Amino acid sequence: MRRVIVLMLLYLLMQAVLPLGEGTPAALVLMAFGFLILGAYSVGELATTVRLPKIVGYLVAGLAVGPAALNFVSVPVMEQLAPVSELAIALIAFLAGAELQIDEVRKRGVLLLKMMTAELSVSFIGIVVVLVSLHHYLPFLDGAPWAEVIGFSILFASVAVVHSPAVTMALLSESGAKGVVARTTLGVVLLADVAVVLTFSGALALTRVLAPPTSGGPVVSSWAVLWEIGGAVLVGAVLGAVVALYLRFIKRELFIFAILVAFFGAEIAGLLHVETLLTLLVAGFVAENAGGGEGEHLRHAMERAGAPVFVVFFALAGAKIKPEAVIQLWPLVIPIVVVRAAGIWAGTQLGAWWAKAEPAAAKYTWMGLISQAGVAIGLSSVVANVYPERGEEMRTLFLAIIAINETIGPILFRLSLLRSGEAKPESFRGGGH
Amino acid sequence: MTSPCSPLSPFCVSASLVLIIVVATAYLATHLLYEWLAKRLLIVSGAEYLVLGILLGPQVSGVISVESAESFGPIVVLGTGWIGLTVGMQFYLPRLVRITGLTFRLAVIESLVTLVVVTAAMWWVLPTLGLTSEFWAIVPAIALGAIAVASTPSGLDIALRDRKRREPVVNQLETSLGVNAFVAVMTIGILFSWVHRAPTSALRPPTPTEWAVITIGVGVLGGALFHLFLGEERKVDRLVVSLGGAIILASGAAAYLNVSPVLATLVVGIVLVNTSRGRTELRTVLAEAERPFYYVLLLLAGLSWRPSTSFTVVAVVLLYLVTRTMSKVYAARATTVWNKATPQLGRDWGKALIGQGRLTVALALDYARRPELPIGDVVFTAALASVLLTEFAAARLVRAALLPIVEPLRDLAHRLPWVDATEENGASITSENAAVSGVFVPPQNEGATTLFGPEVDAPAQRAAPDQTVDKAADSVSNKSKGEPH
Repeated sequence: MRRVIVLMLLYLLMQAVLPLGEGTPAALVLMAFGFLILGAYSVGELATTVRLPKIVGYLVAGLAVGPAALNFVSVPVMEQLAPVSELAIALIAFLAGAELQIDEVRKRGVLLLKMMTAELSVSFIGIVVVLVSLHHYLPFLDGAPWAEVIGFSILFASVAVVHSPAVTMALLSESGAKGVVARTTLGVVLLADVAVVLTFSGALALTRVLAPPTSGGPVVSSWAVLWEIGGAVLVGAVLGAVVALYLRFIKRELFIFAILVAFFGAEIAGLLHVETLLTLLVAGFVAENAGGGEGEHLRHAMERAGAPVFVVFFALAGAKIKPEAVIQLWPLVIPIVVVRAAGIWAGTQLGAWWAKAEPAAAKYTWMGLISQAGVAIGLSSVVANVYPERGEEMRTLFLAIIAINETIGPILFRLSLLRSGEAKPESFRGGGH
Repeated sequence: MTSPCSPLSPFCVSASLVLIIVVATAYLATHLLYEWLAKRLLIVSGAEYLVLGILLGPQVSGVISVESAESFGPIVVLGTGWIGLTVGMQFYLPRLVRITGLTFRLAVIESLVTLVVVTAAMWWVLPTLGLTSEFWAIVPAIALGAIAVASTPSGLDIALRDRKRREPVVNQLETSLGVNAFVAVMTIGILFSWVHRAPTSALRPPTPTEWAVITIGVGVLGGALFHLFLGEERKVDRLVVSLGGAIILASGAAAYLNVSPVLATLVVGIVLVNTSRGRTELRTVLAEAERPFYYVLLLLAGLSWRPSTSFTVVAVVLLYLVTRTMSKVYAARATTVWNKATPQLGRDWGKALIGQGRLTVALALDYARRPELPIGDVVFTAALASVLLTEFAAARLVRAALLPIVEPLRDLAHRLPWVDATEENGASITSENAAVSGVFVPPQNEGATTLFGPEVDAPAQRAAPDQTVDKAADSVSNKSKGEPH
């Protein structure tokens, strides 16, 4: 009941303030930020009462207050809040890296690599096949020559196989799960994130050959791709070492330090043209494993500092959902979503058999790999930049697919953690974000 | 938040990155030096960020462009809101009612005299020097008057850190700092309501009174939302989310309505401290971010400062500094003499209020970011010049004000060995501070110090000097009888 009153008060406040105010855009952005923190968090808590993960509540809240419905958070405001999303991604990546212990990487690294390879390969092939089969119905492939059909199908699949480290981390943080399913899912998601950068770059290069872009578009050399990955490891390692030194010798003001590290990591990655997620991931890993046991304090500080940021990040992701696109494209979206999910299931089964994974990991890991969010949106934007017309049509289809996957993904992951016994229903109502 | 630079440039350093590096480096450097400076030299850190901002800004090096500086607008609004909240958190009613009427009377008179004198001086000088018309001069004059009332608590915090015993003069200063802040924020808040532009979209433009009520309403709603949101939960993570949400929403809404975010969040703070059971946790969370926020705010203030060296502006700044200093010192002295409180308070406690700091910067930024208000740059310059010139010496000013009245107590303490022993138990800085600064030997703190004293006011803390002497004498007699001390 209290949550409903909060939401009603927030609604009344916005209804009263918006017509009266003529302040600067900065003020509007700040107000929307505060509104999203309180509003989305409240909806997230309401979601737990109907046994849904909080993150689904955040997404629903974003959808409700975004341009698709109430428009309290308009498109320009969302653009202004982009740094919040960048900060959230940086914090999530750092926290994900900090979750990885070096002993575990040694012990389970090969297993995770095998599972990831099988899962990505099977789902990738499945999506290519379904796109080629449906190409007459796809606006961006209808009437195109076979070479282009194959090129764009490969490019599409390289984006569609992407997972969501953000959703994975958010659910793990919310539930506190640390069992074999939780750790296998996280490992596969993080490894896949690195692999996807490579496959996407390769797919884009191939499509350029098969279907040269009319406007030329930005050229991506193989050196640039190598630097994006290798440079990220290098930069992340240096950043992590600096953080480890700070933790060993200064270890003060960790709340502020956590935000500064995340901001700095994201900015420096952008400046040096290296992969942001991987940079922060490596930084978190190095800081945790070289920080002399102090990494845990930084993690807690980061989780605390990031709590409002994560809420707004997922609410903004929800606000970007275009229900009209989902409705319009559902005959195409549903087969792709189903084939992707089937590919993930089949791939993890194959990978688990190949790697001789634990039965629980074989049975439940696929459910944690359905989610999609920011990374997929980012890659689809790159495609839209290279191929302005077709890329834009592809992006609309992607957004519709992501809308479904980011809604059902957290629900399935929650279910997998509950069924495997690694989390309890009450743990989803407690802390975390 | 990026600076415009060539897309061909391989190293297009964003303004955000520069700001992060500068703040991180400066913060760490200052943090490591802060306590050393404060303990050894009684210097309040902060003004250097203002200088750093000026150096990085478009006026000097141009590392951060005008557009980039303006893109930090949300942080400025949030920073001012945060400072408003920390001010409001000091007004805990059960503690306020224990303060004597005399203490309040002295504080209110000193505040109002400063407000009136500085406003009058500015109202005369601004049109005389041709900076604004006679009609409009009242607006910046009142703003400068309000800003002049605010004093920094940093000086008192540093000079009396870890101190348990509170003489009447310390209580007076704490009360005066709180009343000063309240008067300053209320005056600015009402001023912004008074000169508010009518929104074009509204059917009937609200009256100034209605704008003032709306400002306070935003604060009350922010406080109410915090409580409803937090419920019975006491986890720090949840506290951060709810507190952050309430501050951001209240300051954002106030800024969007073009009313004062400092006043709105001051009300949020008053609501929170008087209704929340987790006051200590709230203060802890606020304290974690208070100083970094202030540093960022100072840096951004420096970035957007366009100091003028024209005679007229310099004259206004000088007059502001002189009238403010005179008002603080002489209003406090006159009202103390008038109320026959000189034996308890001395005559110079007004000197301890000369330092200006975070609230001054917040109010000045709040005024200067409104293009519809006249001579924002002059108001901003006067306020920042005052912070630059007075904040670093704030602790020394407190010492200068307290020394004559507190020194006799120190002599007494030195003559009573068990009192010394108790006090040395308090903190390692005890002897150092006493030797270097001459401030009365500070014993261990028992709670968070605020403008209105610690959470638990011991009877001795409210005692007059003569009562304290009596208490010391009592303890002599108790010790001789073998009773526990």
